[in-house]
Amino acid sequence: MNTLKTILSCFCLLFSLLLSAQKKESPTDIPYSNKIEVSNQALESLFQSAENISIDMAPGFHLNGKIQNKSEHGSSVTSLLIKVESRPGGMLSISRYKDPKGNIVYAGHLLKLHDADGMMLVEKDQHYYLVETQQRFLVAE
Amino acid sequence: MKKQLAYIIAFLFLAIHFNASAQVPLLNSYSAAVATVYLDFDGAEVDGTIWNENGKISAATSGLSPASITWIHRMISEHFNLFNLNITTDPAVYDRAPVHQRIRIIITPDGNWYGPATGVSAIGSFVWGDDTPAWVFMNPLSNNASFIAAAATHQIGHTLGLQHQSVYDSYGSMITELSGGESNIFSNQAPLMGIPFYKQASWKDGHPSTGAQRIQSDTAEIAGAPNNIGYRKTSEQVVSPESSVKIERHEPGTIELSSSGNYTYRIFDISGRLLTQGFLKPGYNEIHTNSSSTGIVVLQWTGESVSGSQKIIL
Repeated sequence: MNTLKTILSCFCLLFSLLLSAQKKESPTDIPYSNKIEVSNQALESLFQSAENISIDMAPGFHLNGKIQNKSEHGSSVTSLLIKVESRPGGMLSISRYKDPKGNIVYAGHLLKLHDADGMMLVEKDQHYYLVETQQRFLVAE
Repeated sequence: MKKQLAYIIAFLFLAIHFNASAQVPLLNSYSAAVATVYLDFDGAEVDGTIWNENGKISAATSGLSPASITWIHRMISEHFNLFNLNITTDPAVYDRAPVHQRIRIIITPDGNWYGPATGVSAIGSFVWGDDTPAWVFMNPLSNNASFIAAAATHQIGHTLGLQHQSVYDSYGSMITELSGGESNIFSNQAPLMGIPFYKQASWKDGHPSTGAQRIQSDTAEIAGAPNNIGYRKTSEQVVSPESSVKIERHEPGTIELSSSGNYTYRIFDISGRLLTQGFLKPGYNEIHTNSSSTGIVVLQWTGESVSGSQKIIL
């Protein structure tokens, strides 16, 4: 009897772990090939940078680049346009703003026009991911 | 003599400059809405956006006449008259709109900086808040006002988060990314998010380019999150007393009505999902809806210069 309970508990645990794992695996509703979790600190450090950027965004993902443009839109949005040297021709456009609840939110894209793939910064369950997807889902004619 | 010539040239230059900038009539489709689409016909300098891989872009003025601009604005506005959204040609209205509920569509002759296309936009950029514009290139559209209006509506749809409406085979493999209304060759209808140029184009519920297993309801996506635009209140629709559509009788599956003119109509459920659409002729009309469509539906009709809508309980 105890063995059965243990097996059932294990199944429940495994099932809940699977469910939570699936939840984390889908940060966006568009198809994607790869995702990299980036920390809020790494994102914020982009906005604190001077002209040149050299930041570890995530394990195995180092961003080298140069800020091309920094602008304020209205009173609440700050946007950066970064020329990414580690992805020649690529531009990272990233914005920081406060949502109606006062939380700081980041949104952005890493694109190179006419490339097959691009990256989109998405937030899911208070985690940020750079997801790699076909660029036609990000930029369309 | 030289001085006089210089004055004349300067005067002509100024006159041409003022004439060009005065040519854009200031139009608003729905001033009550804060969410704004700005149709920019008079050229722009664009810098610091994802489009600027190769530096600043100088977009030339469209060169369209006020009559053409007014017509294009009206055509585009008709596609959005269900929504709580203002289509404007006034840059001051765009500047006043919330940064997370606005987009600028630059309508310009040439898109050589991008390549051969009728336009380009970033999907969902309406809510980005960083003033990234979208583009319509007139030369590949033969400077045809009808094509320009359709292309602009298509690009606005992208900025509001819509993907292309695509065609798939029964195995789920994509046949074509841009649907031209092939699903019914006898129909004169095509999706605005497909190829909207050669048939009567409208919003659609269909399979988007992101996959055959998905359904994209264009109207629900535009109205809903993250755009949070919503629908117009029916009492604020423009209805002329002389031009009207009157419901005579209705039951699940059928609506009988009388129409005072030639109108296009669309019927939506309360979530904004398009149930059916078509044309109304003057006099008696019978519309068939899915008999399972019960509850409250919204009938919206649009004519040359008037439109209206009303709720029907089936």
